[in-house]
Amino acid sequence: MKESQSAIEIRELTRRYGKLEAVHGLSLTVRAGCCYGFFGRNGAGKTTTIKCLLNLLRPQSGTVRVLGLDPQREEVAVKSRIAYVPDAVAFYPWMTVRDTLEYFASFRAHWNRDIENDLLKRFGLNPNQKAASMSKGQKTQLALITAVCPEPELLVLDEPTSGLDPIVRREFIETVIGAYQSSDPENRTVFVSTHLISEFEGLIDEFTVIEQGRNLLTMNADDARSRFKKISVRFATAPVNLAPVGALQVKQNGRSAEILANGNSERIITELKLQNPEDLRCESLSLEEIFVASKALTKSA
Amino acid sequence: MLFQIDFKAGKPVYLQLVDQVRYAAASGVLRPGEPLPGIRPLAEELRINRNTIAKAYAELESQGVIETLPGKGCFLKANNSPFTKVVRDKLLEKEIDEAVVMAHHLRIGRDAFIETVNERLDHFERLAANDEQSSKTPRRTQ
Repeated sequence: MKESQSAIEIRELTRRYGKLEAVHGLSLTVRAGCCYGFFGRNGAGKTTTIKCLLNLLRPQSGTVRVLGLDPQREEVAVKSRIAYVPDAVAFYPWMTVRDTLEYFASFRAHWNRDIENDLLKRFGLNPNQKAASMSKGQKTQLALITAVCPEPELLVLDEPTSGLDPIVRREFIETVIGAYQSSDPENRTVFVSTHLISEFEGLIDEFTVIEQGRNLLTMNADDARSRFKKISVRFATAPVNLAPVGALQVKQNGRSAEILANGNSERIITELKLQNPEDLRCESLSLEEIFVASKALTKSA
Repeated sequence: MLFQIDFKAGKPVYLQLVDQVRYAAASGVLRPGEPLPGIRPLAEELRINRNTIAKAYAELESQGVIETLPGKGCFLKANNSPFTKVVRDKLLEKEIDEAVVMAHHLRIGRDAFIETVNERLDHFERLAANDEQSSKTPRRTQ
């Protein structure tokens, strides 16, 4: 059954550009029907990985499977079942919005006209406008329409919202949630690479943080938020050498301190309480804060 | 009804939704027979995964708080818990324990804690009473 099949399966993927190793032994699995975040800084290897999924680049070692298929050997089969929105979209400048949609639809076995009309209206795009005169935001909207209308099983988004204004970004995410996932959600998988993490926070089921081409952290989003905590504490007098055992990071400013915990917040809180704090609070880290903190994770490992 | 998601609350997002529906039911914001928002519009509005909302509604249904009418959506059920008294006590105990631990961290003593509990019970009773009254008087729109 399809449920048991992964949408994406990457094993020990390595890809170099000359001497530069962009992706090094990366492994990850994306379950069908889930929304998977792929987080990393600029140059971490996100786009290289995605290009290997789309057969725009060949892996030098390791394997990549998309919907159970090898994108190198079965390129057409793979591409007919997925859609991709890159960070910089480009269309033929002489084509109108309508021409562009017809052009894209001509490559697809299936094209949902209702979704197309809905989204054209929602985004306020004029079908007669030429691509050459469209703004970056409008081009991204058009790209999103071309990606959603075929109702692909897998939607790959590479930094889709960078450089867009907040309203376009918001509409983009609502469209992915609404129009894309509206029917047959078990077979609608989203793989999104981004560093604008907070916008996608609610959408992400699972994520991987990639750093220098390596998988730094893979977790379920809810599990991550319950594991990584920020403890804010204030004492009557500034403590000397505040260093709770197992703390991921300690930032002290006079009498106050902020401590990051990785799965051991209870123990750290118990230890801090022995010093009779005036105030002690504990909250979860957001995915964005976890992404930032994951650097400390490598140092402590 | 309006939902508020806090990613820093340390509670899984679907459980936050579950809590808020139960809170709305207890305080009369949502009355038996009234519909819950549809999964897709709510997902778009909160910009959270529709799976998360489906999971919350499934949980509420298994707790007997809501019922799903095929093709119509989810509705709040009349207040009769499917659990036995023992199970209900156990469930409540867990929630109370959390509040007790919190009170300890905040250095709130036994008496002050009990006082707050009473105050909150009064608060909910007042809300429910007000709501009943306002539902009897015809509503005016301006």
